[in-house]
Amino acid sequence: MKWFKIGMPVFLILLGLFSLIMAINLPKAHLGNPNGPLYFPIGISVLLLIFSAIYLFQEIKDAEEINEHIADLFSGRTPKLIISTIILGALYALIFEPFGFLISTVLFLGALLFVVNGPKRWKANIIVTLSFSLITWYAFGELLGVSLP
Amino acid sequence: MLNTPGDGSAIAATFDGYPMARQGKAGQAMALSAVASFIGGIMATFGFILLAQPLANFALKFGPAEYFLLMLLTLSAIISLSMGKMIKGFISMSLGLLISTIGIDTQTGVYRFTFGMVELSEGIDFLIVIIGIYAVGEVLYNFLNIDDEKREKKEVGKIWFTKEQWKRSRWPILRSGPLGFIIGVLPGAGGSIAAMLSYTTEKQLSKKPEEFGKGAPEGLAAPESANNAASVGAMIPLLTMGIPGSGTTAVMLGALVMLGIRPRPLLFENEPETVWTLVNSMFVGNIALIIINIVLVGLLVKILDTPAKILYPLIIMLAFIGTYTLSYTAVDFFFLLLFGYFGLVLKILDFPIAPLILAVIVGGDMEQNFRMALTSSNGSLGIFFGSGVSIVLITLTVLSLFYPLIMNIVQRRKAATNTD
Repeated sequence: MKWFKIGMPVFLILLGLFSLIMAINLPKAHLGNPNGPLYFPIGISVLLLIFSAIYLFQEIKDAEEINEHIADLFSGRTPKLIISTIILGALYALIFEPFGFLISTVLFLGALLFVVNGPKRWKANIIVTLSFSLITWYAFGELLGVSLP
Repeated sequence: MLNTPGDGSAIAATFDGYPMARQGKAGQAMALSAVASFIGGIMATFGFILLAQPLANFALKFGPAEYFLLMLLTLSAIISLSMGKMIKGFISMSLGLLISTIGIDTQTGVYRFTFGMVELSEGIDFLIVIIGIYAVGEVLYNFLNIDDEKREKKEVGKIWFTKEQWKRSRWPILRSGPLGFIIGVLPGAGGSIAAMLSYTTEKQLSKKPEEFGKGAPEGLAAPESANNAASVGAMIPLLTMGIPGSGTTAVMLGALVMLGIRPRPLLFENEPETVWTLVNSMFVGNIALIIINIVLVGLLVKILDTPAKILYPLIIMLAFIGTYTLSYTAVDFFFLLLFGYFGLVLKILDFPIAPLILAVIVGGDMEQNFRMALTSSNGSLGIFFGSGVSIVLITLTVLSLFYPLIMNIVQRRKAATNTD
């Protein structure tokens, strides 16, 4: 999993470069110092670049060290669970407003429970999904007065 | 219990509170937290009575340069906590500061890093970053071992702390109360900084700093005492100058104005009954808080009995709902997922999270104060060395950064001497 260890500092260096270029090209201010809005982002980007470069050297030096968590990330059900959660979350974001809170939450929570808790426990999944969606809707929408779609 | 802080001021308490819960000491952690909060709150209320007027005068001495340096000190203190991984701490801080620059620049109206997205024009709410990294990121991280049955059965333990835990916590609680109170007095500083500073201070004072982050009781008690004391301290600038030091006190200011009370320096002389009623409410509130917390400990810790495979999807769902209530747009769900995944990667690679979170919270104010200070000095950096307070803050910042380095050298020399 060397690529994961080396990949992070490389990503951070690219992010630092990207933010630096973006910061330099920010529009000039019409009020006060025209370069006022640029200084802080430029300074932070430079800091990020410097520390990420040091981090890259450290990681190259320690590339052989084993990080068990990285291995766990790609073993068993873990990748499936993480990717499913992110995809279901993104779908939830897309249907939340058009479908409304209750329908979208039942669909999202139900799907997530089936993925995480397994289809064999379907009864528990359905009971938890329905009861928790209703409780949350009542607690937020009715008791706390949150305007839910 | 779930490593999901409700707000910025609760973050520091999770560093040791969560490990305690994972060790089957959730009941002890909750009780210790309740008592520490109570003591911190009561100490701060006495502090309020004694020091309201003089402390308000001291806070008035803080100009933009001093505020910038105070925030710099807080960040450097947090990074100094990351002993052995300070580079990662600096990267974490830089990322947090970078996130804080997203949105419209409040001084000039220039759009920064918004990529044409209207949703980014007001920046990314730090609560989304916190919920993403701490709640979603934590759940994703726990997926690494979700099929490990041992992790599903967490012991609550007894619902009161031990003598040993009290012995280790009592002085940190007593030190953190006044510290939190003073930080709370500074407008804008608030409970987050107070809790983080008290945590840093206690770790540096501790005889067992290596236990911090692994369930040290004083690592939980100190920030809990400090953040409660800070909330009382924040009442001083609110009542004497009408300056809210935090989101909570901003709402309180609105409520006071609605009731026809105009906070100002003469409020203490002209309307003593109002001030003393507020002081009484602080005492009553703290007493009510400890009673409720201790009575509810038994019920709250039952959350840990919920199977992880059911609990985690519920946490994810609550994270989404919590995010929605911040801005009433589902677009923020995408940011939540992004920060959740980012939090997972940072945890796997052993990055300290606190510098990032704190930088996101203070970054905006830090930049504005930096620029205001430079504007007032016509661009001269001398303003950052222009007062006694500034010099003290700079000295503390330098010391906090070099402290781990000096300690490292001292320990190496000791080890070398022992080997010889």
